[in-house]
Amino acid sequence: MQSNNMDYLTIALPKGKLFGLSADLLAKIGYTAEGLSDKSRKLIIINEEKKIKFIVSKTADVPTYVEYGAADIGVIGKDVLLESGKDVYELLDLGFGRCHLMMAVPKNEKRAKLTDYNHTRVATKFPHIAEKFFNHHGMQMEYIKLNGSIELGPIVGLSESIVDIVETGTTLKENDLEEIVSIQDATARLIANRVSFKMKFDRINTMVSDLRKILESEAAK
Amino acid sequence: MEKDKNVLEIPYGTRDFLPSEAASKRAIETKLAELFAEWGYDEVVTPTIEYLDNLTLGSSRNTEPHLFKLFDKDNRTLALRHEMTTPIARLVSSRLQDYPLPMKLSYISSVFRYEQTQTGRQCEFHQAGVELMGSTSAFADAEIIALAIQGLLRAGLNDFQICLGQVEFISGIMEQYQLAPDVKVELKQAMEQRDLVALGNRVDALKLPETAKQVLKKLPLLNGGEEMVKGAYDLALNEQSRRALDNLCEIYRLLKAYGVEKYVRFDLGIIRDFSYYTGMVFEAYTPGLGFPLCGGGRYDHLLADFGSACPATGFASGIERILLALERQELAKPSRARDVYLAYAAGKESAAIAQAETLRHSGKTVELSLSPQTKADAEAAQQAKGYAELVYLA
Repeated sequence: MQSNNMDYLTIALPKGKLFGLSADLLAKIGYTAEGLSDKSRKLIIINEEKKIKFIVSKTADVPTYVEYGAADIGVIGKDVLLESGKDVYELLDLGFGRCHLMMAVPKNEKRAKLTDYNHTRVATKFPHIAEKFFNHHGMQMEYIKLNGSIELGPIVGLSESIVDIVETGTTLKENDLEEIVSIQDATARLIANRVSFKMKFDRINTMVSDLRKILESEAAK
Repeated sequence: MEKDKNVLEIPYGTRDFLPSEAASKRAIETKLAELFAEWGYDEVVTPTIEYLDNLTLGSSRNTEPHLFKLFDKDNRTLALRHEMTTPIARLVSSRLQDYPLPMKLSYISSVFRYEQTQTGRQCEFHQAGVELMGSTSAFADAEIIALAIQGLLRAGLNDFQICLGQVEFISGIMEQYQLAPDVKVELKQAMEQRDLVALGNRVDALKLPETAKQVLKKLPLLNGGEEMVKGAYDLALNEQSRRALDNLCEIYRLLKAYGVEKYVRFDLGIIRDFSYYTGMVFEAYTPGLGFPLCGGGRYDHLLADFGSACPATGFASGIERILLALERQELAKPSRARDVYLAYAAGKESAAIAQAETLRHSGKTVELSLSPQTKADAEAAQQAKGYAELVYLA
């Protein structure tokens, strides 16, 4: 489906932990729709009165919907956005969903320097970001792409280290892993298709400044 | 023809145009070629392969990783052209130096870029465009924009928007706050990557008055009509940025004379490669296509890299993107009608050939049967091939 109907603004929201926070924030500026839920079987939810369409998609697919213009606007974590390498406008830091990407290794196998891990195996869900980071440090690694439970990598001998996102660090501790270097901080971002941002500029720009006001007043509290 | 399940692959990022697709593509190209000729632009054709050095010469742009490269027998590195502006700049500075200026050239060519394929862009894709060399005037820039608009209209599109900006405006604003060269590069990079969050964070970290920070953060959001440009004069504190706005106003005045101003909106934050463009820049967008249809601008320094300085301005449109937009907006015209299927009984070959020639002269498309047929077979063939009319010589 293309959002080529100029009357509607199509917004892609990711399922999972960012969904509720995004939906709540957008509702504060009047961007909501009846039955908007990531548990809903309906994948497109429309607010006819306000001319808004919501697409609820798998997290990693949000940047794709937006890059191709199937959605005008999206909410996505900076980590997923960076990994996707999609050409979209990054309009606003929404502040929530804070986490950071880091490299961790088993506690009892820590090496002295980062470069001591050169030419070892790293398990990650973010091979592009990891590769960029290690290349920047002149290191060549063997990247093992996993889709979940990254911490398992070193435990079962699949890799010497992991690159993953961390919120509290509890999972790391429980698995006897220790962060050795932080790679990137991430929060949720409001993104826009590059053509939608131009063709629906007034509407999107108003939306961004309304959101900015809400975020600033919340930060002031 | 036998049905072959084992369809052979073609290289990543390339495509076949089947008859109806090729007909649509040819129709657009013909219309654009006619339009360019009407406006006095002469077509040029340059080699598909060039020496790598010529394509990357003087370009600080990161094009090299995106080029398809190969070696000639002396081991010199060759590359497939990734756009047409650089080959034309090479042509003009080395082969057409005695040609009277201004020079107006056009092209319709395939170009090659190694990148992730996306809607309306494969690794091999087709561009139609023009280059106007030898003039620094706003008149030349207005002609380029008007011609780009006419091209989209001629192709059959009517719902599109041109966003027009000026790179000197942003450079001037950065100059007026006396930003360090590396800061300028960082800010421009953030803008080129469309990362307004990074831009905001970087600006916040600068030691500047709050008003200056607000202006820098606002740059990508300066989008609107004539009033927006008038308002932008309040931000422009030096000659460079004011001249950029004057230039835009002058171009807009001329676009009104062309009667195409309704397609044009200003966008001072329009982001095209800063190291390449030196003046006005523009892109065209259409609903339902997440990528620009065409883009262009003024590039006064490129020809100097080839040894003969000459101001220049131009644009390129993506043929596949125009086709896609037409299809999505349901404006695609059915391909050329098939008029006549001409069949004949045994012994009538000569008469049939003569008849086919007569009909073709009268402007009809005629398919002549390759062997004698019965009337019933001829009718079946006419139906199967979709011809409007059957002529049968008994």
